[in-house]
Amino acid sequence: MAKGMFVDTSICTGCKACQVACKEWNELAPEPSHFIQNPASGHLLAVNFTGNSYDNTGKLSATDWRHVRFIEQLNESRSEAHWLFMSDSCKHCQDAGCLNACPTNAIIRTDMGNVFVQQDTCIGCKYCIPACPFGVISFSEQTGTVHKCTLCNDRIHNGLGTACAKACPTGSIQFGDVPDLKAKADARLAQLKALGATEASIYGYNEAGGLNVFYLLMNTPSVYGQPVNPVVPQQRLVLSSAATILTALAAGVAALVSFRERGAKKRAEVAP
Amino acid sequence: MSFETQAPDWAWYFVALYFFIGGTAAGAYFIGSLAELFGGESQREISRIAFYLAFPLILVTPILLIADLGRPERFWHLFVYVNGGQPSFNFLSPLSVGSWALLLFGGMAFLSFLDNLVVDGRLKFAPFANLYNRIPRRLYGLVGSLAGFFVAGYTGVLLNLTARPLWAASDPLVGALFVASAGSAGAAAIALVMAWRKMISNETFAQLEVFDRIVMIIELVLVVAMIVIAGQFAAPLLSGPYAFMFWGGAVLLGILIPLILNWTARRPGPTSSNLVVLTAILVLFGGVLLRISLVQAGQL
Repeated sequence: MAKGMFVDTSICTGCKACQVACKEWNELAPEPSHFIQNPASGHLLAVNFTGNSYDNTGKLSATDWRHVRFIEQLNESRSEAHWLFMSDSCKHCQDAGCLNACPTNAIIRTDMGNVFVQQDTCIGCKYCIPACPFGVISFSEQTGTVHKCTLCNDRIHNGLGTACAKACPTGSIQFGDVPDLKAKADARLAQLKALGATEASIYGYNEAGGLNVFYLLMNTPSVYGQPVNPVVPQQRLVLSSAATILTALAAGVAALVSFRERGAKKRAEVAP
Repeated sequence: MSFETQAPDWAWYFVALYFFIGGTAAGAYFIGSLAELFGGESQREISRIAFYLAFPLILVTPILLIADLGRPERFWHLFVYVNGGQPSFNFLSPLSVGSWALLLFGGMAFLSFLDNLVVDGRLKFAPFANLYNRIPRRLYGLVGSLAGFFVAGYTGVLLNLTARPLWAASDPLVGALFVASAGSAGAAAIALVMAWRKMISNETFAQLEVFDRIVMIIELVLVVAMIVIAGQFAAPLLSGPYAFMFWGGAVLLGILIPLILNWTARRPGPTSSNLVVLTAILVLFGGVLLRISLVQAGQL
């Protein structure tokens, strides 16, 4: 049975415990672009914080596998504010663009449905990076390979849930079997709709062919910085290949027309 | 369509340049083997030049490709799956299929190159000379031109099969455009050699010019169609740092002006060698700029 996560953004408080738990369990290094080394003491100095938000990492990266996105909606006079949070990670697509793109089969799907990068196989060609519809998978200059959330591959294969779900104090992130999580998501959505949350929707049932990690959003996906109609890029394989083959055939016909030995043409050139 | 995607940060001097050199080698080989298959003895001079060009050019490309990897020493993982030992293959990934096609094309280009050397008497190693003609040259010409077409085109399909806005929106025409451009660049490379060897008064040169003219017209139609299909997502090619490179370099210098020069040179009479060299250099230059502008603008 495929394992996944349901992220209910309506009860997320933006505490970032999930971010910390992810870093701790997976022993992820500080994001290199956020730190410099103090030349005098040798300690790391934090730089490049977003500076305009409580959102500290700004995005997912090879060392930030979970990112709590802060959407701060302020009115013109800044007298009223509305906060939305979304704890984001790899969505473990049921038809994963990164996995489809990988030329070395370094990216695999395990028996528990999670998409996993085998670090000893990846060659760092970076083709999976533009193939991800969500911009999740990222390259590390330190290892020369790509990294992303593994759905805590080691934990879930030993009977535990993901570290982020374990750490979440409000139950916003839930780990489990995808059908069970969907039942919970549907019930929660119905409850919120009854309370008047008309904008609320589930993100991840149909997006990019279905996601094992899906979200209850309180506003449109674009407000949360998510693509509105993500598609698995490899859907374009047949059409793109067909157009290429047709053009090659046209070039072949052009060659046939041009390079055929034509008696008539020879005579025409000899005549004048 | 998504704006939330990441660029791979491919270096233009590795990836875009590979797209061009690989395409030119494949285009030249494609022309050479088709001239060999469809033509007669006089077309042999085109295929001879093509086969002398294709192998050295394709020999450069693995260096560019491996240099752009995060772990260059693991490049062989493209062919061997390390966690099982079986051949690595992913038919959904143009990069995987393309790597195998490049290997096959390299092999065929090598055979054709050797064939040239033996026929020209430049390779007189007896055991080899006895063996070389066991496989008919038309057979590996056929296999090589199919693999060559693949090498020229998969790079464009590879771009289409991503979530980057420009590359995704230009679907399904980038592979087609790269094939046409490879044909044109291959013909230009052959024309340069023919000008150098003072062969441009030959009838076969006129045939090459006809081929180039048709391919450039196809290329022009594909460029226009691609921009129309991409719609608002063509923005990185319409403004910003790569707009001038694309329209001024790839389209005007690389297709339109060579097409006009080719068209005006079509009337009978002595062809100017300088004009031929200029046209060919413009086509090749435009081919480089086409790859750089499309690969880099998609990463903005």
